[in-house]
Amino acid sequence: MSPLLHFVEHPLQEFALAFMGTVYVFRLVWFFRRFKKPIELQPPTGSRNTGRTLGVVYSLGIIALPWHMESYRKKPWMYVQFALFHLGIATCITLSFLIPYAPSALESVSVVRFIQALCVIAGVIGVYRFLRRVTDKTMRAISAPDDYFSIVLLSLWLFLGAIVAPNTEDLHDILVVYFVVTAFFLVYVPFSKISHYLYYPIARFYLGRTMGHRGVFPIPSHWPTVGEAKR
Amino acid sequence: MRRSWKAQKVLDLLGERVNRHVAASLLACVHCGMCTESCHYVLTNPDDPTYAPAYKGDILRKLFKRHYDWTGRVLPFWVGARSVFTDEELEEIKDTVFGKCTNCRRCSLNCPMGVDFATANRLARGLLVSVGIMPEGVAVVSKDQWEIGNQMGVLKEDYLETLEWLSDELEAEMGDKDARIPVDKEDCEVVYAINPREVKYDPRTISDAAKIFYVARENWTMPSEGWDMTNFGLFSGDDELGAAIVRRLFEQVIRLRGKRLVVSECGHGYRSTVCEGPNWARMKVPFIMESSVVTMLRYIKEGRIKVDPSRNKEPVTYHDSCNNARSCGMFEEPRELLRLVCTDFREMYPNRAENFCCTGGGGAMSMAEYTPRRLKSARIKADQLKATGAKWVVTSCHNCVDGLTDVIRHYKLGMKVTQIVNLVANAIVVEKKIAVVVPEVAKVLPLKGKKILVIDDEEDAVVFLKTVLEDNGAEVLVAYDGDKGLELLKSSKVDLVTLDLSMPGKDGGVVFEAIRSDEQTRHTKVLVITGRPELRRLIYDKDVTPPEGYLNKPVDEETLIRNCRKILEIEAKEG
Repeated sequence: MSPLLHFVEHPLQEFALAFMGTVYVFRLVWFFRRFKKPIELQPPTGSRNTGRTLGVVYSLGIIALPWHMESYRKKPWMYVQFALFHLGIATCITLSFLIPYAPSALESVSVVRFIQALCVIAGVIGVYRFLRRVTDKTMRAISAPDDYFSIVLLSLWLFLGAIVAPNTEDLHDILVVYFVVTAFFLVYVPFSKISHYLYYPIARFYLGRTMGHRGVFPIPSHWPTVGEAKR
Repeated sequence: MRRSWKAQKVLDLLGERVNRHVAASLLACVHCGMCTESCHYVLTNPDDPTYAPAYKGDILRKLFKRHYDWTGRVLPFWVGARSVFTDEELEEIKDTVFGKCTNCRRCSLNCPMGVDFATANRLARGLLVSVGIMPEGVAVVSKDQWEIGNQMGVLKEDYLETLEWLSDELEAEMGDKDARIPVDKEDCEVVYAINPREVKYDPRTISDAAKIFYVARENWTMPSEGWDMTNFGLFSGDDELGAAIVRRLFEQVIRLRGKRLVVSECGHGYRSTVCEGPNWARMKVPFIMESSVVTMLRYIKEGRIKVDPSRNKEPVTYHDSCNNARSCGMFEEPRELLRLVCTDFREMYPNRAENFCCTGGGGAMSMAEYTPRRLKSARIKADQLKATGAKWVVTSCHNCVDGLTDVIRHYKLGMKVTQIVNLVANAIVVEKKIAVVVPEVAKVLPLKGKKILVIDDEEDAVVFLKTVLEDNGAEVLVAYDGDKGLELLKSSKVDLVTLDLSMPGKDGGVVFEAIRSDEQTRHTKVLVITGRPELRRLIYDKDVTPPEGYLNKPVDEETLIRNCRKILEIEAKEG
């Protein structure tokens, strides 16, 4: 391994990870110190088969219950691409750890092909998402430069991941690029919309707590409104 | 650029009022666009991105990012953060947060990230209200609720008088002198609180509830003060108004030592009182709170009242109020009750937490300037209603009654709107009714012998008022403008004038002042009927005796006749 590749795979990545972790700690401390808790003195309402805890569990878990959300029922493709996109990202993140710390895991061709397939699919979905954001009038109206840049950065990173997954010596230069992009990505993420994964559990927690206490969550799956409406 | 005082105040208050729930919502939105098609405004305006929930939510998010989040402070352009400087910009925000969203919360439940757009929108409304920027209708209603204690400015004597004549009617109907509405009775099981709309436009819902309490042998009462369970603070985003109103009600229940506060069928009233009220008032209430829907269902289950569903044979469907259902979890009780009191209940699709707003929610009915927008966006609701094939739309919300009535009229659906209490009262079986032999008499027309002058420039309104009043025995004169109205008033002896406020030429305020200023006409009784409640100042700001009655358009036949009779002091038994 060249000193350059070693540098980008180890000290650079470790610094970037530490930086991201530190910023996240600051962000969370800022969040919980700066903003007060919502007041919740209301008595429970609605179904008595639920409550705050179940509401929170449902709210956080609803991401795995797409048929419970009309928005996904109407557009199942959106859910499929959401799932594959995030699966691809998770795979690419894993890859960025496998290459420096467990390269033997990539000796299996089938493992490599699996990683490559997921990264490519997610990258293609990233391109689709970018095009949708550019061409759809409503999406354009709600987008900021960060929205465009984040999706471009992620797509690029996913395609790079697909290329470097075999982790062979002939990929030296592209591996350097991949890890530089990964490091930039780690440093950039806390300041971008990509950090939504830090806040969405909090948003879902409070929504679920309130809606559970008020008997709205969980929405029973036997309701005729969920799934096919029977007329 | 120099920032206006109001803009600075809005930004300062934003920092104070954003809590973790709203902050997380503002930070978690990824602009994925999944919320878009859950909004009835978007579905009927697909080419206008400014209706998208994420776009509307971004108004607050941009300010929040610019002033309270580091990324927006350092690189505002990059994350779409922006500030606000002028009062004109605040007016633009008003147009969106009040005029393009009913806070129905449908998008919140359809957001994969759990972004609660409706709560954020309400917060944005509250910030604007804090600096006096709001639609005039919101200002008028909020002022009434602050000053008079209820959102329709019903005076205590009018409220008590209404309860009195409703008691007389109930006594006559039941043939029992004990069949009356108890006021300020202490140590009751139930303290019943209502919507002032019931006093003003729909007293039948009070008498129907009273009949049910009577037949159930309930130990109940209504407070003489603080009886309004509605709360405009929910719509305006003003938590202080919310707290003041709900405290008035809670204090009355405590004063009367009531065990249970029952709120009549009103979506925002139920949410404001039961769900949000304790939070605004910062108090844990020491009594049970429930909707009258739950109370009625309990009476039937406990065998305290018996119902005959064959008395409600026409097909009915149920509209879930956003506040009752999506925000407070009341889904099954109304359906259970309807299946007990009707023979043909048909579900509406989508329903429960996914039902569409009546389109008059979030205070939209009081914001006349947005009416065309509201009615256009109501097409989705109209289609939903029509598909049920029902004759009656039942809802547990007074606001929805008005909103749906408007939708039905605008889209010519030929349906009628009612509330569950009306159906329960109609289906109730009174077993031990005292037999009172009443001689068979010919039907008496309630307004027979009365001459009524209708002053209104809208052809539709004139035709409706003239037809209804003549059908009930009145002789009707019509004037399409103020000058003609004053001329007719002087040349004919008129018992009552119905007066529109918004008219070309002399507006209703000028005409009203002329009526009150002229010796010949000053004692003529006047019933103001307007579709623009914000114009009330045209009459109430004048230094003359106020009108005898006031109604908002749209007005239904029963409300009109009841109010005319009340103003003309025609006893119930005469009618």
